[in-house]
Amino acid sequence: MDYVFSILILVGIYIVLAASFNLIIGRAGLASIAHPIFFALGAYTAALLAIHFGLNPVLATLAGAVVAAVFSLMISLPSLRISGDYLMITSIGFQLGLLQVIKNIEITGSQGGLSNIPTPIAGPERGAVFSIIALAAAAGTVLLIRWIVRGPYGRAINAMRDDELAFIALGRDATRIKIAIFAVGCGLAGVAGGIYAFYFQYLTPEQYEILASGTMLTMVVVGGMGSTWGPVVGALMLVALPQAITFLQLPPSYMAPVQGMIFTLLVILFLFLKPQGLVSPEPPAPLAHRRAGRV
Amino acid sequence: MFEPAVLAQILWTGLATSSHMVLFTIAFALVLKVVKLWNFAQAGMMAIAFYAMYAGVNQFGWPTLPSVGFGLALTLAATLALERFGFRVLRARRSSSLLFFIFTLVCSEFAAYALTLIFGTEPAPLFERILSPVRIVAGIAVSDWDLLALGVTIGLATALALYLRFSSDGRCLVAVSDNAELAELYGISAKRAYLIAFALASVLVCAGMYLYGTRTAVIPTAPLQLMIFAVIATLLGGMGSVLGAAIAAVTLSLLQSYSILIVPSKWQGMILYVFLFVTILFFPSGAHPMRLLRRFGLRRG
Repeated sequence: MDYVFSILILVGIYIVLAASFNLIIGRAGLASIAHPIFFALGAYTAALLAIHFGLNPVLATLAGAVVAAVFSLMISLPSLRISGDYLMITSIGFQLGLLQVIKNIEITGSQGGLSNIPTPIAGPERGAVFSIIALAAAAGTVLLIRWIVRGPYGRAINAMRDDELAFIALGRDATRIKIAIFAVGCGLAGVAGGIYAFYFQYLTPEQYEILASGTMLTMVVVGGMGSTWGPVVGALMLVALPQAITFLQLPPSYMAPVQGMIFTLLVILFLFLKPQGLVSPEPPAPLAHRRAGRV
Repeated sequence: MFEPAVLAQILWTGLATSSHMVLFTIAFALVLKVVKLWNFAQAGMMAIAFYAMYAGVNQFGWPTLPSVGFGLALTLAATLALERFGFRVLRARRSSSLLFFIFTLVCSEFAAYALTLIFGTEPAPLFERILSPVRIVAGIAVSDWDLLALGVTIGLATALALYLRFSSDGRCLVAVSDNAELAELYGISAKRAYLIAFALASVLVCAGMYLYGTRTAVIPTAPLQLMIFAVIATLLGGMGSVLGAAIAAVTLSLLQSYSILIVPSKWQGMILYVFLFVTILFFPSGAHPMRLLRRFGLRRG
């Protein structure tokens, strides 16, 4: 049963990550792929606060989210000057550079990883409680993003993504929107990091390398970039499907690469057979139903 | 610490160890210039090249040359298949750059997983011995590997420059890189140019992995880290400038080598990212080393 709970928790965490990533890359069209580093910042901050100061896990997770949101400025500010491929490569540089710091300082456990993270819940119900927390966080994230993008702010985000120059010419503030979107998206990734840290109780820098960017981006694209439910479907499929072979009970040295190959083959298959994603983006709301509002 | 002999030794060793990085960077920059693609699948090509050569030498017991030939043949086959059945389809669909990014990264991931399944995660050099004979020349330790690495890199870079400048196919590549649609109007096949660019990149990657694998033990995921260096050097060199990217690769390698004098070795990796960040912020279209040289009057143009 623990195994099933672990999968449910991972599904919940990846839904938070994919949905928040989709807000940045799919909704706002900001081609940053550094999302895993904000997941890492949330996880490490929450874990370190719990280890060294005994902070309550909820507060530690919130602190992780705040740290991730603050660090998002390091991507959102460059995004005011650059876009497209350049922003993508800058975000890779930011992600790998910060990982290099995490790998080299002692307080984060360096290359060996951070262990001895206290668990707030012990006993047989631990898996079930964490599953509920992770799935609740996933539901909360999806609903929050749905609420943001369906309101006037969402229309402003769409307008900025579609034609930034015209958006600015109309007197709108693209700077504020970009900074806010990065802060919200990265803050949510920080929450996912906190949940991950307190359940798995071990963090290692390798989890947040460029391959993690590929994984999250894949969930968004396979699910359907720019749609509300796409990242949910993408995360669910790409976390759950490779687990199917666990029941074959292969030796551990074969299991990870075979799971990886299944994952990558699935992605390639989807990219060619369903390039628009499994869930199409919702059409904009009819004009009559739009409320007037200024951002 | 700053004695001339020490500085000269670091310069020599830095140049030699930059050789494979230069080859990877040229391969990456060439594909970016001609195909307009950030080819993160290059890491997969690099892994295939190394492990094919490794299988030739260590599992089939072949001599070096046939093993290198085998590595090159497999890399070429994989790369051309990728272009023919992958990139061409995505281009025809006018896929976004993000889709290309995912596809190329996932291809590299697939290669790494498949090679992990076959060869495991134990680091392995190409040959059992990774040390080569050393001689002292004017107070500088010069190894056979240094000479081979510099010779191969200079030879291949020169051959590529001559090919691009003087052969008709090379000129077609340059034309396609400038404006693919206009080149097609003049009867130049962009598809053929792309295939040639990928084939040339395969040769460079294979040579680079041979040099790297004769010096260092490799694991299936190692090429991804090496490729990040190539990405950063390409960006620093200015997109579209293969020579600029090569100069950036040498400069970055030397900076990393010299940094051991003042920066603890564990922080050397950071230098790359600091440079990337500074370049993106202050030179958004690349540092363009050739333009900088012209600006300071060091090169006519």
